[in-house]
Amino acid sequence: MRTRDWSLLLLPAAALVSPVYATDYLSVPVAQQMLFPQAKAFVEQTLKLSDEQRDRIKALSGMRQRWAEQKVWRAEKDGQLQGWFIVDEVIGKHEFITYATAISPDGRVLGVEILSYRETHGSQVREPSWRKNFVGKTLADPFKLDEDVPNISGATLSCRNVLDGVKRLLAIHKLYLAHA
Amino acid sequence: MSLSRSLSLGAVALSLSLSAMADENVFGYVRGAETLPKGAKEVYQWLTVRSDKGAGHYRAIDSKTEFEYGVTDRFSASAELKALGINTSGLTIDGYLPGDKKYGLKPSGIEFAGKYNFLSPAKDDFGLSGYAAVDYNWLDAHSGQDKKKIDAEFALLAQKYFLEGQLTWVGNVGLEATYSKRKAIDNLPADFEWPTSPEMEVELKAGTGLAYRFAPGWYVGAETLWETEFETDVGKERWSLFGGPTLHYGGKQWWATLTYFHQIRGGGEKYAGQTDNNLHLIEKTRNEVRLKVGFNF
Repeated sequence: MRTRDWSLLLLPAAALVSPVYATDYLSVPVAQQMLFPQAKAFVEQTLKLSDEQRDRIKALSGMRQRWAEQKVWRAEKDGQLQGWFIVDEVIGKHEFITYATAISPDGRVLGVEILSYRETHGSQVREPSWRKNFVGKTLADPFKLDEDVPNISGATLSCRNVLDGVKRLLAIHKLYLAHA
Repeated sequence: MSLSRSLSLGAVALSLSLSAMADENVFGYVRGAETLPKGAKEVYQWLTVRSDKGAGHYRAIDSKTEFEYGVTDRFSASAELKALGINTSGLTIDGYLPGDKKYGLKPSGIEFAGKYNFLSPAKDDFGLSGYAAVDYNWLDAHSGQDKKKIDAEFALLAQKYFLEGQLTWVGNVGLEATYSKRKAIDNLPADFEWPTSPEMEVELKAGTGLAYRFAPGWYVGAETLWETEFETDVGKERWSLFGGPTLHYGGKQWWATLTYFHQIRGGGEKYAGQTDNNLHLIEKTRNEVRLKVGFNF
């Protein structure tokens, strides 16, 4: 008896696939200018963190400091400190999310920019309306999703990790930059 | 066309399209608690190869093509078209496997399912969802013979993230109730039993899995699934414990999960001449391999 071949049932699913490549939305210099438009110079001041220093960051923020090296720039205008520009990465659903945070000399968030976001859902993290919720946050804030910053459905892990990441950067500022 | 050629053709058709950079389904058999956001759509293709009953030759391929839609941010609904291919010879099991059967993939059933998220694993620390599915099948997944079967499945799906999401744990408990009725077969072997009166079955299942993200987009893990089934005539018909490794890749537009599932222990009914008494090999096989591919759009 002749049997029918139904493997072609798989073809519609295959046809839906199209090449998609990850996008880096902003370079570090562009993000620096967006977060510190008044600054004339960005002086790299990368922090090399010992295990003890990473433990202190975790103790203050409640978040694990994954990296031993943290990229930090000192934003200056006419030799005067305008604030700190920090590039960081946190875990998204599948890829790392690269973002930059601007922190004032007295430890307030001045702004957040997403440099690279490669997840399926949650591209709204790049929108100013979501990122503006970070402005003015300090370590005294609770840093709770849907309290401090609204959740984005389908990207809850990404939102939480960015929120936790910014809190960790504020802890780094307090411990190692505020008196630098 | 042989089963292996059918599988190869399907796999090639998929893999040729998967040369792109690129959500979910980190595991092959146990389910996570997350749902699609409102308005999001996902198409899944499942292929499961079941092989080796300890005697003769037995290989079956299950295909599921699924469409899932995020109705709300907490509730997603899905519809599935199932297909079955089978190649068995040299093995008859009284009441279950009447003889040789061979055909390529052909439609075998449909399924409708819903998933409601009570707690988000990322936001609430511990995730919990309820899952319900109803399916109708017209081919028997074990023998390949004609058999009408209606299932209703209910499950609780738990999920927890560790290490900011680098480590994912899921746990499932579920219950499945089945009504089935076989179609009569001509020319059965002498004294071969092939009941055609309606059967009622209840299956309990529990599973767990742990996956670690070892590189961006890549997870390696292990999962296990315990199942037991009770039937009207024989009481406890079977139980089995499967387990095995899982490899998952996920990107922006698509993901794929490959799981090797080996029957570790099993029991219940045995067929005449079964040599391995520590496994259930009537409705289960020694090995399963499952490939799942999902496309987000």
